[in-house]
Amino acid sequence: MNEDIILLVIVFVVWAVLAALYATVPMFAMPGYATVWGWGSLVFLALAALMAMAMARRRAKSSRR
Amino acid sequence: MKQPALTEGLRRLPAADKLLLRILFGAALLALILGVLAGAGTAATRGGFVEPGPLSGYRMMTAHGVNIFFYWLYFAQAGLLLVLSAVYTVPGGHIAWRPLAWSGLATMIAGFVSSAYAVAAGLPLLYDAPPELAGTPSPAVAAFYLGYLLLAVGLFCIAASAVATVLKPRFDHRIASWPVVSFAAIGWAGLLMVSSIAALNAFLPAARWAFGLAPMPSEYSVGWHILFHNMHYLPLMATVIVWYVLVQTVVGVKFIFGSHLSKIAFSLYLIFVPPTSLYHMFLEPNLAEAVRVIGSLLSLFISVPTVTVFLVIVASLEVHARAHGAKGLFGWIGMLPWRNPAMAAMGMAVVNLALGGTFSFVLIQEKLAPLLSDTFFVPGYFHFLTVGTVTLTFLGALCYVLPELTGRALWRPGLIAALPYIITAGLLIFGTAGIIAGYSGVPRRVLDVSYNAAAPVLWTALMAGIGIGGLIMAAGLLTYLFALLWTMWPAPAGETARKALPAVDWGGVTPAATRAWVGPLSVLLLVGAMAVFTALAFEILQSLPLEAGGAAGGH
Repeated sequence: MNEDIILLVIVFVVWAVLAALYATVPMFAMPGYATVWGWGSLVFLALAALMAMAMARRRAKSSRR
Repeated sequence: MKQPALTEGLRRLPAADKLLLRILFGAALLALILGVLAGAGTAATRGGFVEPGPLSGYRMMTAHGVNIFFYWLYFAQAGLLLVLSAVYTVPGGHIAWRPLAWSGLATMIAGFVSSAYAVAAGLPLLYDAPPELAGTPSPAVAAFYLGYLLLAVGLFCIAASAVATVLKPRFDHRIASWPVVSFAAIGWAGLLMVSSIAALNAFLPAARWAFGLAPMPSEYSVGWHILFHNMHYLPLMATVIVWYVLVQTVVGVKFIFGSHLSKIAFSLYLIFVPPTSLYHMFLEPNLAEAVRVIGSLLSLFISVPTVTVFLVIVASLEVHARAHGAKGLFGWIGMLPWRNPAMAAMGMAVVNLALGGTFSFVLIQEKLAPLLSDTFFVPGYFHFLTVGTVTLTFLGALCYVLPELTGRALWRPGLIAALPYIITAGLLIFGTAGIIAGYSGVPRRVLDVSYNAAAPVLWTALMAGIGIGGLIMAAGLLTYLFALLWTMWPAPAGETARKALPAVDWGGVTPAATRAWVGPLSVLLLVGAMAVFTALAFEILQSLPLEAGGAAGGH
C-alpha cells in the first residue's frame, strides 16, 4: 500500500478508536466528542479510499498498455 | 535564478481561479482590518485611554474575536489551501470543481455578513457566544449562530474543491505520485472538513434554539470545546505547511530528510488532534479525576508535531547554509535573506511560537488551568500564537501570492520586511504585561479592572502596558494591510512589472554530513523555559491573597 494511504489509514484508526472510547467508556461519557471524532475518522477513511481509487485507476491504465 | 514553483504556478493559474482567489483574500483582509480596528479599540479601553461604556466595549471585543479568530483565519486558510493544491500538484494546475469553490466562497461571505449584523445589532456575546449569555432567542442571536454555520458549510465546500484539485490529476493520469505539499494539503483539507462538522455539532442546536425551534442546548460548552480544540490545531498546521512552502520559495531548499519524513511530520498533526483534546475540559466540574489525569498527560504531546516540523526546517536551513560557507553556531542565521518580507515574517513567527508555546504549556496543566483560565494570562499568551505566529506567516505568504494574482509589484517590500519586528515589539509589551497580569489575578473579560480604586495599583499599570502594546501591534498590522491592499488594487497602465523579492538559492546542492545543533538546542531551551514558567506560576499563584472559582468557560 502507498505511504500516503497508510498515513491516512493510521489517522482513521486513531480517530475511530478515540470515538469508540468516548462512546463506550462510562468514565469519559462525552457523546459530543464521539460524534465529532467518529465523523472525522470517516472523513479520513474517505480521503484514503479516494486516493486508493485514483492509484488503482492509474495502475489499471498502465497494465492495459 | 530559477523561478520558484509557487510564483510560477500562481502566474500560470487560469484567470477564473485568480479572480476567485482575489475575492477570497480580499474578504480575508477585510475581516482582518475590522478585527484589528476592534482590537485596537479594545486594547485602548483596557489600557484606560478611552471609555466607550460597557456595551460598546464588549461589542468591540466581540467584533475583534469574531472577525479575526473566525473570519480572517479561515478566509485566509481557504485561499492558501486552494493555492497550494492547485500550484503544487501538477505543473500548470488549476482549481478543480470551481463552481463548488465559488459556492463555498459565497456561503462564507454570507456568514461574514450575518455575523457582522449580529455583532452590530445584538447583545455582544463574545466570540464563543454561549446561549446562556444571550438569555432569550432573537433575530440577532439567530444571525450570530447562522453566521458561524454558513462559515462552516462554505469551508467544507472549499476543502472539498481542494481535495478534488489534488486527486483529479491522478485520476486523469497526469501524475504518478503526490508531492509533499499536495499530501499536506489533503490532510489540511480533511481537518478543515472535520472542523466544519465540529462547528455544526456546536452551533446547530444553538441556532435551532435561537430561531425558536428547540429548547436551549444543555451541552453547548462541550461542543464549543471540541471545535475550539480543532481551531487551535488547524491554523498551526496551516502555518507549518506555509513555512515549508515559503522556505523552499525564499531559500530554495527542501527538507533534508526527504519526502517520507515530511509527510509523516504533517500527518502527526492529524494523529495528535483527538488524543490531546481533553485539557479543554479541565474546568468542567463533573469531569472524573482519572480523566483529568489522563488529559493532563496527553496534553504534553500537543507540541510534538510543531516541534518536529520546526526541527526539520531549522536543520534543513542550517545544513544548507553550512554547505554554502556558514561559520559558527549561529552564523547561518545571518545568511538568510532577512530583507525579504516573507523571511522576516517567518523569523518572527518562530520567535513568537516559542514564546506562545512556552506559556500555553503553563496553562494546560491540570492544576493551573482553573487558576489561570479566567485571567488575562490567556489573551497574554495566545496573541503570540494568533498574531505573532499564524497571522504573520499568512501575511508573509500573501507577499508572494497577491502580486502574482494581480500582476502588481508588492508595495515597499523593504518597509514590509521591517513590520514583523514592530508587531513583535508590540506583542512583547502586550504579552509580557498580560502574562504578569494573569499571574497577578487580573480577570480576562472585565473591561475596567480598577474596581473603584480597590484593585492593586499594579493592575492599572499593567493594563496601560497592554493598551500600549496592543496599539503598536495594531499600527504595524494596519500598515501591513495597507501594503497588501495597495498590491491588490489593479495596476495603472504601464505599471505591470513584478519585482523579485530578495532571496537566496541554496537548492541543487547535496550537503555533506554535518552537525546542526541550533534546532535541538532551541527545543532544549523551550522545554527548560516551560518547566521554569510552570514552577513560577505555581509559586506566584499560591502566594496570592485570592481564591479562584472555576467557571465552565474554559479557554
